[in-house]
Amino acid sequence: MSDLPAMLVAFPMLFSVVALLAGLVRQDTGWPVAVVATAVQVVAAAVLADRAFEETVTYVVGGFTAPYGIELVVDGLSATMALLVAVISLAVLAYSRVAGPRTNAFYAVYLLLVGGLTGMSITGDIFNMYVFLEITGLAAYALVASGEGGRSALAALKYLIVGTVGASLFLLGIGYAYIATGTLNMNDLSAQLAEVGHTDPLVQASFALLVVGLFVKVAVFPLHAWQPDAYAGAPDSVSAFISALVSTVAAYALIRIVYTVFTVEFLQANPAAQSLLAAGAVVSIVFGSVLAVAQTEIKRTLAYSSVSQFGLVVGAVAVANETAMIGATVQLVGHAVMKGGLFLTAGLIATATGARAVDDYEGLIQRLPLGAGVFGVLALAMVGVPPAVGFVGKWYIVLGAVEAEAWPLVVVILASTLLTLAYFARVLERIFFRDPDGSGVDESQRHSSANQNAERSGDVDVSALSTGMQMTIVVAALAAVGLGMLAFEYGQMLQPTVAELLA
Amino acid sequence: MEPIVPPFLPVFVAALLLPLLGRRLGHAVAGLVTFAMVPYVWLVDSGAHFTEFGLFGFETVIFNVDPFSTLMGLIFAFIGAVGVLYSYYSDAEAIQTAFALTYVASSLGAVFGGDWLTLVFFWELMAVTSTLLVWHYGGKAVRAGFRYAVLHGIGGTLFLGAVIWHFAEAGTFLFASVPGGPESAGLAGPVAPVLAALGIGVNVGFVGLHAWLPDTYPRPHIAASVFLCVFTTKTGVYGLYRVFPEHGSVAVAYMGGIMAVFGATMALFQNDMRRLLSYHIQSQVGYMVAGVGIGSALAQAGAFAHVFNHILYKGLLFMTAGVVIYRTGEESLKKLGGLAREMPITAGAFTVAALSIAGFPGFNGFVSKGIVIAASHYDFQGVVHIAGRTGLEWLLLIGGVGTFMSFIKFGYYAFFHGEYEGSVKDANRGQSVAMVTVAALCVFFGVADGALFSLLPFDVTDKAVVSHVYHTYTVSHVAEGVALAVAGLIGFGLVKKPLSGLGRVPDIDRLYNPATFYGTRYLVVGVTELYARVDDAAVALAKFSVRTAKDPDAAIARATGREEVDTKAGIDRSLILLLATLVAAMALLLV
Repeated sequence: MSDLPAMLVAFPMLFSVVALLAGLVRQDTGWPVAVVATAVQVVAAAVLADRAFEETVTYVVGGFTAPYGIELVVDGLSATMALLVAVISLAVLAYSRVAGPRTNAFYAVYLLLVGGLTGMSITGDIFNMYVFLEITGLAAYALVASGEGGRSALAALKYLIVGTVGASLFLLGIGYAYIATGTLNMNDLSAQLAEVGHTDPLVQASFALLVVGLFVKVAVFPLHAWQPDAYAGAPDSVSAFISALVSTVAAYALIRIVYTVFTVEFLQANPAAQSLLAAGAVVSIVFGSVLAVAQTEIKRTLAYSSVSQFGLVVGAVAVANETAMIGATVQLVGHAVMKGGLFLTAGLIATATGARAVDDYEGLIQRLPLGAGVFGVLALAMVGVPPAVGFVGKWYIVLGAVEAEAWPLVVVILASTLLTLAYFARVLERIFFRDPDGSGVDESQRHSSANQNAERSGDVDVSALSTGMQMTIVVAALAAVGLGMLAFEYGQMLQPTVAELLA
Repeated sequence: MEPIVPPFLPVFVAALLLPLLGRRLGHAVAGLVTFAMVPYVWLVDSGAHFTEFGLFGFETVIFNVDPFSTLMGLIFAFIGAVGVLYSYYSDAEAIQTAFALTYVASSLGAVFGGDWLTLVFFWELMAVTSTLLVWHYGGKAVRAGFRYAVLHGIGGTLFLGAVIWHFAEAGTFLFASVPGGPESAGLAGPVAPVLAALGIGVNVGFVGLHAWLPDTYPRPHIAASVFLCVFTTKTGVYGLYRVFPEHGSVAVAYMGGIMAVFGATMALFQNDMRRLLSYHIQSQVGYMVAGVGIGSALAQAGAFAHVFNHILYKGLLFMTAGVVIYRTGEESLKKLGGLAREMPITAGAFTVAALSIAGFPGFNGFVSKGIVIAASHYDFQGVVHIAGRTGLEWLLLIGGVGTFMSFIKFGYYAFFHGEYEGSVKDANRGQSVAMVTVAALCVFFGVADGALFSLLPFDVTDKAVVSHVYHTYTVSHVAEGVALAVAGLIGFGLVKKPLSGLGRVPDIDRLYNPATFYGTRYLVVGVTELYARVDDAAVALAKFSVRTAKDPDAAIARATGREEVDTKAGIDRSLILLLATLVAAMALLLV
């Protein structure tokens, strides 16, 4: 099984084609194909992760040795991402069987996206990373567009244009780096860039282009504008899938670019580079949260919450020490589980009750206890209530920031807990502490929405919920808490990888 | 005898049982149990202690016996039993006597504690139980009880602070005399003794902190006053000794002298019998405080001898005053007179008690007051010396004259002056037994001074123990006692006229009751108003934030003065933002 890394990328793509072809023979065959593919993917990623945590696995594609050929490099961090991608995509499938979309074309693109994300996670070649970034991007645009109506189409178009410009900046950055060094292999690049000199304008420009390009993909404020539209416009399964994985893997790419390609020495030579990252982090955390508070639609609230949460990850990247990096990884994994789970829960609630606005959630606990309970658990986990995984991630990042004595960042990260609480408290208050009849709302509002509410509260359709949908969100909630218990151990496992990354 | 149980426990149990057993049986059982503590305390060997029981998880000694504790325990238990007898015959409710016994029990707990934590625990318990005892009477006693509770709360907190400070310095709560205790006795560090002196100062009635005494003690039931006059102040003296066990404190000694004079003078102005007696508590406790402050073996022996005697005659005085009130319903000396013929037993008991408290030769007060004055003469290096005597000694002597004067006044107006209209019955049988027993003891300890000396922690007749061997009945000492009495008699003759025209003389509480009242009021108003302002500001800020967050476009429009602003980025604006960010990043890195 020495070809396992390559298989991990090729396999979902191959099945993507299978799903498309099977569709020609028979409708609705996409889902089973996708399940088989992602199940195999989970096993393969798990096996690979098991090996990668022992020792970094490298694979030379097509016999062209590095630095000339393309190389796949799987260390603890890559393996974590690959496994996360596989598991989340399988989990979302469990939800989407009934929730849809159901076309074979959808599942073909879905598997393509899995392949792209996996490729981004394990590649050791910077141009190869760009290629997978584009595959990921295109597949994501297509998935967003798979929703019904003009809103999805417009959101996808916005996503497409902004995302493509971001990817182009990334490509430009690669070009600058290539001009400076003549190589595209990440490990080789780091050595060559050091030779060229970290203060060389070419190198600095390359860094700026790559980082800004990835900022778009991560959706750092103010480059996030595509993201709330895309998340809110896409079908529920897609929202969950891309919110859990696409920005996550982009953030992983940022870590790779900053530490593997440019290295810590570059950050030390260019304090401005570190300032750039820190500024992005602080602005994202604060404005993401503030915008999240201002939203009336649940999915947009969750989308802006992601802007804020990825601010934490970028902050950890700016801090640049081991503790913070472990925190960033835990936060990436935790956020994927929690935010994916929240989007799925929001989808489930919408399916059963039609509630999509924050105000529609009033008294949800009485109407749909399961959905309300899971939403509550995941929201509190996101706020960072111990022992949930959201707490562990923030804890490591704050600890790292304290170690680095980056006090402004410490203050912002601690405040982020309050800010997160601010936007979730709005929702939780409506779910748990208000009656479905809209008490607590102004008299005039109650009058106008009385009929609507009466209709709404009588409109709970639990039969629309499949066992898969319910199981998925419960598992997400359990995982959000359970991973918190395991996270400290995982942090220990990750230590060698992170140490090497920061060396 | 081996110790069986801490003495407070049986008394406490008796207090709990008292209301359940019915008034008659309850009083009988409670009185017997309390009285049984007298031989028990007497027989338990010095040095015995219980360590098994830890208070709040600290190493504490709930029952520790040394000569000081034994003396306190003996007299506390005795007067407690007499008080129960007196309560029963003075128509006290069972529940009131139960409260009184919990108060007795907590006092016993305090004086037998072998560590600071136990002492302060029972100390606070005393404040609570005595407040309940005052409150139970209702009426005017409630407000007085409230003032009492507040002041003792403050005092107790200061003492607790001192104890915690001590723990931080010494690392243990144990007394030095207890095995495992620290090396030096008293409270460690420079601050703790000062805090403790202030806290205990409330209990013993330091001048300025004493106003609760004449405020509270005249108000409750007559039997409650008998209990109250004994325990709080005397436990205070005991606590003060524990704080300054070796060298005393000059400041405390002078405070004692000032208390003696101040209390006696204020007493002279009073017409309410129990209020007069309350000032005399302060005056007499002044002698004990002075003894503790001088700090020599002679002085400490004198202080504790005076504690012992004082409890006897002061209890007796409150009993006689109580009987007068019980029979006549009058509290004021101005409305009484000529009762000696109507109530011979009460008048006789009063005379014994008055001669004792004034320190007339042949009565117990003469013995113990003499020891303290001797200590102030021989052991005290005061700053002021007048005519061969220390300033402190003069203060104590003048206090003695004042005492004579005020008791001549009390006796004169209550029992001898004029004729009482109508007939009054004398004390009933139980009251008489209680009074005569205590009066007999007052005389006994005055005549047989050796019996008193044998109870003291230091042998005042042993040259090896004290600096100056004390003899009660020397010519000069007896002459001194008689001279004080004569001076008192002449003094009373001189001031009798002006005194009778005197209205109520204000004490310090005239000053601080309104000060506290208005101070608290302004504080409350100030805090409320401040809170309201902060609240307004917070609400305004929250409203503004919510409005801004809910409708940022309108907020920006308001701020910039423009009509409509759209903050939502479309595709075009997203790209412009993207480019702007890129340019900024490039500029940041390259320039």
